[in-house]
Amino acid sequence: MVISPIHYVAIPLLVAFLIPLVAKIGKNWARILPGLTLAYLNFVSVYLMTKVQETGIISESVGGWDAPVGINLVFSPLSGLLVSLITGIGFLVWLYSYQFKNVEKNESQKYFTLLLMLITGANGVILTGDIFNMFVFMEITAISAYALTAFYRHRNGAEAAFKYLLIGSLASTFMLLAIMLLYAQVGTLNMADIASKMDQVSSGMKVTIFILFLTGFGIEAEMFPLNGWAPDAYTEAPGPIGAVFASAVVKAGVYAMARVVFTLFGYGDSPVEILIIMGVITMAIAEFSAFRQEKLKRMLAYSSIGQMGLVIAAFGLGTKAGVFAALFIMVNHALIKSLLFLSGTYMVYHSKEKLIAELNGMAKELPVTAALFAFGALAIAGFPPFSGFWSKVYFLIAAADQKMVFLIIMVLLVTTVEVLYYFKVINRMYFHKPEMELEYRRPSTNALISMFVLTAVILWISFFPDTVMGYIDAAANDLVNRAGYINLVLNR
Amino acid sequence: MNIQDFINFLVYGTAIFLIIGGLYAVLTKKYLTKIVIGLSIMDAGINLLLIAIGYTYKGTAPIFSPAVEGKTVTMVDPVPQALVLTAIVIGFGVTAVALSLVIRLYRHHNTLCIDNIKNLKW
Repeated sequence: MVISPIHYVAIPLLVAFLIPLVAKIGKNWARILPGLTLAYLNFVSVYLMTKVQETGIISESVGGWDAPVGINLVFSPLSGLLVSLITGIGFLVWLYSYQFKNVEKNESQKYFTLLLMLITGANGVILTGDIFNMFVFMEITAISAYALTAFYRHRNGAEAAFKYLLIGSLASTFMLLAIMLLYAQVGTLNMADIASKMDQVSSGMKVTIFILFLTGFGIEAEMFPLNGWAPDAYTEAPGPIGAVFASAVVKAGVYAMARVVFTLFGYGDSPVEILIIMGVITMAIAEFSAFRQEKLKRMLAYSSIGQMGLVIAAFGLGTKAGVFAALFIMVNHALIKSLLFLSGTYMVYHSKEKLIAELNGMAKELPVTAALFAFGALAIAGFPPFSGFWSKVYFLIAAADQKMVFLIIMVLLVTTVEVLYYFKVINRMYFHKPEMELEYRRPSTNALISMFVLTAVILWISFFPDTVMGYIDAAANDLVNRAGYINLVLNR
Repeated sequence: MNIQDFINFLVYGTAIFLIIGGLYAVLTKKYLTKIVIGLSIMDAGINLLLIAIGYTYKGTAPIFSPAVEGKTVTMVDPVPQALVLTAIVIGFGVTAVALSLVIRLYRHHNTLCIDNIKNLKW
């Protein structure tokens, strides 16, 4: 069997629907098979990432029709980086959830089916070269995310999921409207083909389509004021799913947005003011809201929105340095926020309200988990020498190149707030005496292994940033080089 | 106004009316079922708009058959029709998930009015 990018979409989709069947053979297969699938996808990542470094962008047409007519998958350094990140974290989340989910009650069947569907969708959004196909995959991601939000019956999951569904449907409506208007103008759905014909579109139409796209993808990318779904969805969904939201759903949304801005519209030559403004507003409001939160997962959700604001602002800079910083923050955020969600879940596992105030003295009871959480908090707030620090430094350098003083001041201010609220949690865990009987759950071995792997990766990026920077640099080049993408996909 | 413009006006007008009407229902209605109906109406409007974009006046079905062989025939654009099929299926899926969530909420709260379902901030 030849390894190709199509495996990222086809294999998890196939396995997701095989799970209920194999569960008839043996209940345990329902949770072993997803792990094997994700492990295989990680192998595909390693293989294709080495190949893409040698040969350049891999464009694979599906169904035998070539690029402008048929649907094609594009495995470029950029999409490869994000897809590898998503499948990698998907595998760790599987490892973490392995004993979390009860096999006997069939819970694990539903859980792993939805998890694989979500990963299929997110991979598809990132790999596809066809704008309508992107919409379809976005819907696959979103529908499985709704279902996962409502996974626990005893929580307010259904309410959060309905809210998410409402906003998500509006997003898909806007997206479809934008795609249609674009199709009516240029008569093609292939992204490279659209990009090459973009100058035929009148500027008024261009702005309309752009705003519709921005609204549609902004909802998935947690951009203000379209992020009302995020805090509730993160809070009510199962803990590890919070990690998947932060690393897959949101990343797919941000990627789609960046692709549209840079490749489709070619706005990347100069700073895109609207992205910078929306990014700054998003991160300021989110970080101040995070400071006010009393529930742990809500705080993490707002922190996640804040980081996405930073990413959107960094993309808005439009320069290669800005794109590099944005991608670096995305990689760091996916890894570190996953670690925070995975470790935080165990600390508030049995608590009903999941308040930060209930964490008093947790470090004595769960020393390892608390230490990992504290490490993650330091890393994401940007303490030197951890990886969050490096990405923020690159962001500040990129902003300084464009002489955006206000942006730099805002980022520093927001980072201070971020440090404050993460320290609030660390302070309670380490220096407060427990007021009542602590309720928590000891992490299982699998969960510990997955948390340690994440920690090791974060530490590796912290101390040897050069090893990943090569990949991120190639990815940034890929996004900025619009003509290269068009020519390669259309075989010119 | 000739017939062609009139058809265009009618179809586009209906589509936009459906989209706006559905959006209005989603944003203002207090009952969960009505919100879901609003979503479906909006979907229908979008699908109609898609079809309208692909429509050519007096176009025939885009099928290659012996009857049209060797002749110049106006055909409607087949791509939007394919997209609409996909969009209908997606809309169906979303509606199904939405309704299952409504059922769950009804069992939990014994009401469908969103004023009474306020465990989370709206």
